Amino acid sequence: MVGSISVEQNTSAAESCLAAINDRFGGSGIVASIENHSNAKKYAFVRAICPPQHWLALAKWMKYDLGVNYCSMVTGTHFPDGPDERGWEVAYHFLRQPIQDQVPNTCTVHDVNALSGMDIPMEFEVFIPLPQGESPSVPSIQSIWVGADWNEKETWDLVGIKFEGHENMHRVLNPNDSPEGFHPLQKQHKLRYHDHNEMYDDPQGFMRKPADEGRVK
Amino acid sequence: MAQMWITMGPQHPMTHGLWTLRVKVDGETVVDTEAELGYIHRGVEKICEARDFTQVTPYCDRLCYVSAMTWANSYIYAAEDLLEAEVPARAEYIRLISAELQRLASHLMWLGAFGPDIGNLTLMTWCMRDREMFLDLLQELGGSRMHYNYPRIGGVKRDMPIGFADRVIAKTKLFEKRLDEYEMMLDESTIWLVRLQGVGYANAESMVDAGVSGPNVRAAGVNYDVRWAHPYSVYDEIDWEPAVEKPTSVKGADCYDRYRVRMEEMRQSCRMVLDALNKIPGGKNTNYANGDEMIYTKAPTRAPEGATGFSNYECTRGASQFYIQGGGEGRGKNPYRVSIRSPMFITIPYVAKTMIGYKIADIPAIMGSFDPCIGETDR
Repeated sequence: MVGSISVEQNTSAAESCLAAINDRFGGSGIVASIENHSNAKKYAFVRAICPPQHWLALAKWMKYDLGVNYCSMVTGTHFPDGPDERGWEVAYHFLRQPIQDQVPNTCTVHDVNALSGMDIPMEFEVFIPLPQGESPSVPSIQSIWVGADWNEKETWDLVGIKFEGHENMHRVLNPNDSPEGFHPLQKQHKLRYHDHNEMYDDPQGFMRKPADEGRVK
Repeated sequence: MAQMWITMGPQHPMTHGLWTLRVKVDGETVVDTEAELGYIHRGVEKICEARDFTQVTPYCDRLCYVSAMTWANSYIYAAEDLLEAEVPARAEYIRLISAELQRLASHLMWLGAFGPDIGNLTLMTWCMRDREMFLDLLQELGGSRMHYNYPRIGGVKRDMPIGFADRVIAKTKLFEKRLDEYEMMLDESTIWLVRLQGVGYANAESMVDAGVSGPNVRAAGVNYDVRWAHPYSVYDEIDWEPAVEKPTSVKGADCYDRYRVRMEEMRQSCRMVLDALNKIPGGKNTNYANGDEMIYTKAPTRAPEGATGFSNYECTRGASQFYIQGGGEGRGKNPYRVSIRSPMFITIPYVAKTMIGYKIADIPAIMGSFDPCIGETDR
């Protein structure tokens, strides 16, 4: 039986990570906190809200000093109705995984409950709010985590957030010949019928509207 | 000899789906590669913004028809994080059983598709035969062969039918014997070993850096697994161990290690299912009515603006993740943004680069050993 990471391990890892972030970046505008999931085992993770100008410094420090070796997810979100300083947001999810290269013919089988310090798996969430505007941009972390490469390509392709310094940026999910500036997950692009009220003229739904009437595709 | 680009795909037996691998070759040797994805991009993330939280589940099933149950579960955990739903213990056990049955079916589909790549056509028929057993079991739960729409936010749709547990036990035990037969057929086949051993090396740290996860990393010798590292269901109460291989080279895991690790995972899944049936609260031969508090707790249907949900889930191909933001249309009834992280979307570009230096004939073995699935890649 393998067991699993205990609540104490999880809490101590989260607290030490938070203390390290505050120690290094306290007062620079990076706000870090410990949050708890409300699903499954309700485990803790570290969340940081970071202004874009400090992002590269934080990312490098996380990779090389905090042992965060896994960039799992990059999510861009468009908030056209949001406040001026948060019209866009990029959310990064990172994991710290205790994984090393192996000597031939050996393997590492972690004794889960004996893991301590930097070996405890931990989850990190970094939010980068970007101001309203036509062209949101954030520094690329492609050179720090190889795993961020295609995540950033996808985020630019679908949401239109520009990653400064990203090499070889191109469309990945949309067709290569999509018009410039077309990023379908921006909120001005509506699904044609996404609500009963838009689809029908009357509440009972007897009369259907003509297909394209006044709708932006 | 002059170098040239060859296009493999989108219709090619190697691809296991619609995508293109552009290969630059020097004679028979691969010197550069480029992956092109997006052929079956359906815009699931955009569609989800116009659905309420319950209506999103069927779309997550359809992300990958080979492992629909694990993808739906993955979404459900994220939605439960967002909506702060409570889940009864029996429902968690049923989810675990359904996910592990799905893992068996998915790995069998992988093995059945991988065998013909290597030249072993028997494997296809054998694997399809055995996969059908598990699809039948999943059909008893969800009502259809492929897309179950089974988990619910706060529980599961319905309880296990009477007699389901006995059929699971009988089929799992039969399958454990058949796994031995597979190994007899494969591990003693010269063709199988020659095509797989020493091909497609990938080491652990480069894979983690590139974002590869799951069985592909465990093949390189570390037992890291989301199921113990970020535990989500009742895996801590169940008797199991993560499958892990001992790679024979400093260069990391080869195709043979990745094949071995999946065989071992199937054994562990059988073990988990059998153990979970013994420990399930309420007993394995009980059938609670739909919506009973043993299997379902009513969850809130709206999420406020600013709330977020995240799940990290050990899917059959690696860690699948969902990130959901609340506060969408209908006063929070819809998600504002659903973001899906597919393990294969990250893995395929990585695998394309590991092929450099090998021969053209090795490409199907390398690609197949990573278990690509394009439905979840393109979303």
